[in-house]
Order: sequence, then C-alpha cells, then structure tokens
Amino acid sequence: MSVAKQRLEDLALLGGTPLFARPRSTSNLVRPDFDAFMRYSETMLAAGQYTNNGPLVRELEQRLAAFHRTRHCVSFCNGFWALVLAMRELALEGRDEVVMPSLTYRRLADVASWAGLVPRFCEVEPDTLALSPRTLAPEVGARTALIVAVHPIVNCCDAPALAAFAAERGLPILFDSVESVYETVGGRKTGGFGNAEVFSLHASKLINGFEGGYLTTDDAELAGRLALARGFGFSGQDNVVMRGTNAKLNEMHAAMALASLDDLEDQVRRNRARYLAYRDGLAALPGLRLLAFDEDERSSYKNIVVETTDAWPLPRDLTIRLLNAEGALARAYYDPPLHLRPAAYPTIAGALPVSSALARRFVSMPCGHHVSVEDIGRIVDLLAFLRAQATPLAARLAA
Amino acid sequence: MTGTPARPAVLGAPPAFAEPLPVGQLRFPDRAAYRALFADLFAREYYTNQGPLAERFEARLAERLGVRHAVCVTNATIGLSMVAEALGLRGRVILPAFTFVASAQSLLWSGLEPVFCEVDPSTHHLDFAALERHLADGAAAVLAVNLWGGTGDPARLVALADRYGVPVYFDSAHAFGCTVDGRPVGGFGRAEVFSFHATKVLGAGEGGCIATDDDELAERLRNIRSSYGVRAPRAVYRTANGRMSEAQAGIGLLSLDALDAAIAHNRALREAYRSGLAGLPGLALVEPNRVETSNHQYLVLEVGAAFGLARDALHAALHAENIVARRYFHPGVHRQPPFSETPADLPQTDALCARVLQLPLGARLDADAAGRVCAAIRRIHDHAAAIRSLLGERQ
Repeated sequence: MSVAKQRLEDLALLGGTPLFARPRSTSNLVRPDFDAFMRYSETMLAAGQYTNNGPLVRELEQRLAAFHRTRHCVSFCNGFWALVLAMRELALEGRDEVVMPSLTYRRLADVASWAGLVPRFCEVEPDTLALSPRTLAPEVGARTALIVAVHPIVNCCDAPALAAFAAERGLPILFDSVESVYETVGGRKTGGFGNAEVFSLHASKLINGFEGGYLTTDDAELAGRLALARGFGFSGQDNVVMRGTNAKLNEMHAAMALASLDDLEDQVRRNRARYLAYRDGLAALPGLRLLAFDEDERSSYKNIVVETTDAWPLPRDLTIRLLNAEGALARAYYDPPLHLRPAAYPTIAGALPVSSALARRFVSMPCGHHVSVEDIGRIVDLLAFLRAQATPLAARLAA
Repeated sequence: MTGTPARPAVLGAPPAFAEPLPVGQLRFPDRAAYRALFADLFAREYYTNQGPLAERFEARLAERLGVRHAVCVTNATIGLSMVAEALGLRGRVILPAFTFVASAQSLLWSGLEPVFCEVDPSTHHLDFAALERHLADGAAAVLAVNLWGGTGDPARLVALADRYGVPVYFDSAHAFGCTVDGRPVGGFGRAEVFSFHATKVLGAGEGGCIATDDDELAERLRNIRSSYGVRAPRAVYRTANGRMSEAQAGIGLLSLDALDAAIAHNRALREAYRSGLAGLPGLALVEPNRVETSNHQYLVLEVGAAFGLARDALHAALHAENIVARRYFHPGVHRQPPFSETPADLPQTDALCARVLQLPLGARLDADAAGRVCAAIRRIHDHAAAIRSLLGERQ
C-alpha cells in the first residue's frame, strides 16, 4: 500500500502508484469459518446427497425462515431465478405489467422478461431512493399483474405502506430484499412483508453461499408451488404437475450459507465499525453526504453510499474514475437507471426525471469484509486530497 | 454364508439391500480431496464470478470435448434455455417426447413451441422419417437428445436438418465422455449441453456446460450468463444468471480427473449385470446407440411380456428390495402438463415409456451388489405369478 497523496502527480490517474495494490471493492466476499463449513459439509459427505432438497438445504431453509420470522423459506440456485419463478407465480392472470423502480439493479427488467411480464418503471422518493405509494400510483392500473418493491441498498422502503397500497388494489407485491437481509422496518424483520420477499446468497452479498437465493413467505401454497417449480415441477418421482426449470440450490452452497449464517452477528458488528469510520471521516468533508443508516432500525451496515452534492467540486463520474485508479473500486449507484437502458424486449417508461437526476449523484463506496477501518481512513484522506486539489486537478485534466 | 432369501421382498421376505440403492452415479471426491480443494479456495477467497477454477474447468472441458469453447453454467437446464436465447430462436422447436421433461421446459421460458417428434423404438432416439416430416413443416431448430450414454447419430441428424436450413442443438446431459465417428460428443450441431448433476458420470453437485465451436455463439452465451467471464461485449436479448461457482468448478475438476475410472467402473458393472441377467426371458439390455465409446452411465432394460411381470410391477417389486429402479421416461413429456394440453400422437414413444426401466449403477455399487440386484430380479421372476395376484394385475 502506498503512502498518502502529496502532489497531483501522486494520483494514479496521473501516473502515480495506486493507493491500494489489492483492490478494495463493494463486493462483500465474507469468509465464514472454514471448520464450520467442513462440519456442515460432513453432513453431505456422510449422506452422499449432493443436491435435490438435501438435509443442508432443508436446515438452511428452516434457519432462514426462523431468522426472518416467516413460516416458509424456499431456496434456489440464485436470486435471479428465485425472482423469475416468484414473479411468474404471483403475477395476476390475464395481466402483463410488473411495476418496479427504475433506479435499481440493472438486471431486474431481464428477470421480468423471463417471467413473461412487461416491466413498467416508477420513480423513487429522492430522500429515501425507494419507491413509495406516491411514486407507484401513476404507474398502477388495469394491466398491473404485480408490484416488485426493491429495498434501496441503504435503509428500506416503507414496506407496510407499500403492502397496504397493494392490498387495497388487490395486487400482489413481491419485495426484492437482496440488500436488506438483516434490516427491520418499523422494528419488524424483513421477510414477512407483502406476498413474499426474495434474497440472495451470492458471495458479494451479506450471506455468502457461493451462489444462491431464497424466498420467504407465510403463504404455504406459494411456497409449495415454488418448491416444485425449482425442481422441474415434479411432485413425487415421476409426476410433473406444472412448468418448472432447474433452480435448485445444491448442498455445498447450503453448507457455505449455513457457515456464513453462523458468523452473521459478528459480521454486522464489523460492518458497523466500517460504517462509523466512514461516518466520522466524511463528517469533516463538505460535499459528500453519507446516507445514514436509520438507527431506530436494525441494519447490516454493509453498504456505504454517498451523494456527491452541489458542494462537491468534481463531477461524480470523475471522482469514481479517480478512486478506481487508486484501487478503490467505488461504483456509480444504479447508473444508468433501468428506464434509460436500451432493452430489446418491451418495457414501459415515462420520462422519470427524478430517477434520471438521482442516477447522476450517488456513489457506492468500497465496503464489506475486505475493507478495513484503516483502508477507510485512507479513502477518506484521498477524498479530502481530491477536494483540496480539485481546481488544479480539473485544469490538469483539461490540458 | 448369509442366507439368500428364497422369496422376493414384495412377498414378505427381507429386502435384498439394507439401504436404498439409487440409479444415479453419485460420484464425489473423498473427504481428503474435498478438504484440500476448499482449503485452497478459502485461502484464495474467490467464490464465484468466473474464478480460476471455472476458467481451468472450462479449458479442460474444451480440451476433453475437442471443442473451441466450453461455457460452464449453473445447471444444464438453464444451459439449454441459454442456448435457445443465444441462437435467437423464435417459434417451433422439434424435439423428442422421449426425454427428461427439462428438455421441453427449457423451451417454454423462451416462449418457444415444442413440437414432439416420434422416436425409433430400436434406438430410443429421433426417428429420421418422422423428423423429416416435421422439418418439412418448418421449425426454428431441432433440439435432439443423446440418451443413455449413446447418441441418435448426430452427424446424420445435422445433415438432414441442414437440407431444410434448420439448426440443431443437443441435450447431451447423458453423454459426457462418449465418442462417435472418431470424435467426442460435444462438437456436433450448433451447441451441445452437458449435465454435471450429481447423478451424472461427471458430477459437480449441480452444474453443466455448453460446448460449441461457434465463437460468436460462445460469446453471446457468456454475455447472457453474467457480466463476469465476458471476453467481449455482445448485445443479447436479455441476460440470465447462469453462473457456475468456484465450488462447483472445483468439484467438477476433481470429477474430470476421476472420469476414466468412473467409466471403467460403469463398464464393469454393466458386464456384471449382463452375466447376472443372462437367460432371463423378457429382459432386453439396451446397448448404447451409435457410439464408439460410451460412458455406460445408465443400465437400461426393456421389460417384455416374456418376463411374466409388467414393467410397473417389476419396478414396485424392486423398490420393495430397496433397489430404487427408475422408469425414465414415464410418462412421455407430451403427457405432462402443460404439454399435455396439446395432443400429440406418439404411439412408439408411449410404448417405449411403458417398458423401459433403469437399474442402479455408479458409485454405490460394486460387482457383488450388481449380482445381488440380478439375483433379486430372478427371485421376482420366479415368483411372478404370486406377485401378479398380489398386485391384482392381469398379465
């Protein structure tokens, strides 16, 4: 790791040595205890069952259902196919539109396409970056088959209000809670709001299961159908009852997720220390507004998002380029938003000026298991340096 | 010497096996190899997103299969859907109904219409005259299936479809390690999809790979699968998460190391079955079709009238012995929802579905166990009349 920047020429974008030889990313890649993983794996090795709803998958589902305080949890090979299958099951018959926010995960519209639905994009609220009944209302109508409410990566949507909005209109609502495993809304854990919630076990997320996904619900019939759909629709050895595919979670991935679950409380404590380091460091840096976690709710404290305000002297994208050159792999937050991405399949979108503007302003900062408090100190120092040198830097880059 | 029961378990004797004996290969690295693999993986902290194990696995697969590209995927069914997407298929796809339901389900997700084609009962694979009639009606593609460690004569099939300008791709879930016409199964048609499900001769828990010599198709597949592993960006209709993890790739590599031994083991078991079943009337051992070398990963019987029991009765009697024989494929895919909503007249397929039975093969068996399975079948045959009246069935 190199020393702090003193002169413009020290910046990696201008030829200097990067601050971080090993990149610091936004990808969690938490490592559970190896012996715990091997203990869980022993179940698989002893039983000789490597997939097909084995004991580890069932144990994982029981623990996750208990964790989220829901009656049911169904696991899948990944969150993408969990969403596809859930959307298809929940969508009202005879209707074809699924309303979702535009300022979200770049593949969510693809998911809707696989589910046979037309994505219709809605705005988010500028203060929460989350959709709301107010932003949903203009997009919901006679063709709405489903609402997909995505929690933003810091804090949550107003899930009870959204669930009530959907219920009043007789519409199903699915929460994409991929970034909200540990969160509470109004003191109540994510998992049981609306018709169902979907989470990811990808290694970059809070719970590392290599690859994987899961859905939580109190709806027994939904859970039953999804458990069949992920296994080709088989009910019994030879009896297919519905369209399915292979979306099964295998036992190795379940073992990894279980070991990660064992470490979860400690991981959240470590994340909070990272968040506080950012919070304290950025407090002295005008122009970067850290999205603060709501301290009245539980949170994983994993994701670090800052807004580059009008008081920040560099363009957001240049700031990201400068950081990236130093090995600090910050990312633009959901830019471009879905309604501005070209799509080969049908989508419906208005101008959505709020989302268009918001997409230009936010940055996801390096975070997670591989970013230390000391790393965060260096990143904050780098940002302070960029701020102080903004004018000569801009001149230098224009030359 | 332990007493060999004189009667079959379905008539009240103890089962031939204390634990269920399954059909699938269920091969897996031993504890030491598993531990070493994951110790390395945890040290490297690379868990998915086209890591070094996935890269190495793809390179070794491409080499073994004799193809330019092996694109590893989370499982073969998603792989089949990805091929349909990458080929940009629209409309009708011809495939057999005598296959695993996943072949047909993979089409529905891309909005494709399956057109079920009759099979040749002597090969279990697509009947060429029937196929030609469907080709003449027009189709976006043929999805051919290579069954039981054999093939449906892929070169002939591709040549036929070529005359109608119809691309062919293959569900080769059963066919890893097989060779035909001097080359591995893997390079025929536009692409071939292999399965690394735990029941297959090369297993990764769950997993699969798409083999192709088509550089552009391979690149579209990588772009559909994920942004990780993309070598060059390509516009695709939509993406899907088809990623294989480092864990899966690591197990796959170990399984690939053990493949030739697994095939040799399957071949030895097959010979044990052949000699153990010799002389039994009404049981025909299906030979892998149109291959030079087979992976021998399925032991398929056709149960005929001379056996004295219908296939389903034999199936039930074997289950009573803890011999978990399977009736792949029963019923035919055309009779499963939602495909059953469209009538398809496939009498050869229906007849085949009624008489096939797979016996256990793979890691759980040695030659002695195969011999005990054969002995159980002989006992069942010897007591066929009693079993028929117990099951209330007319022969």
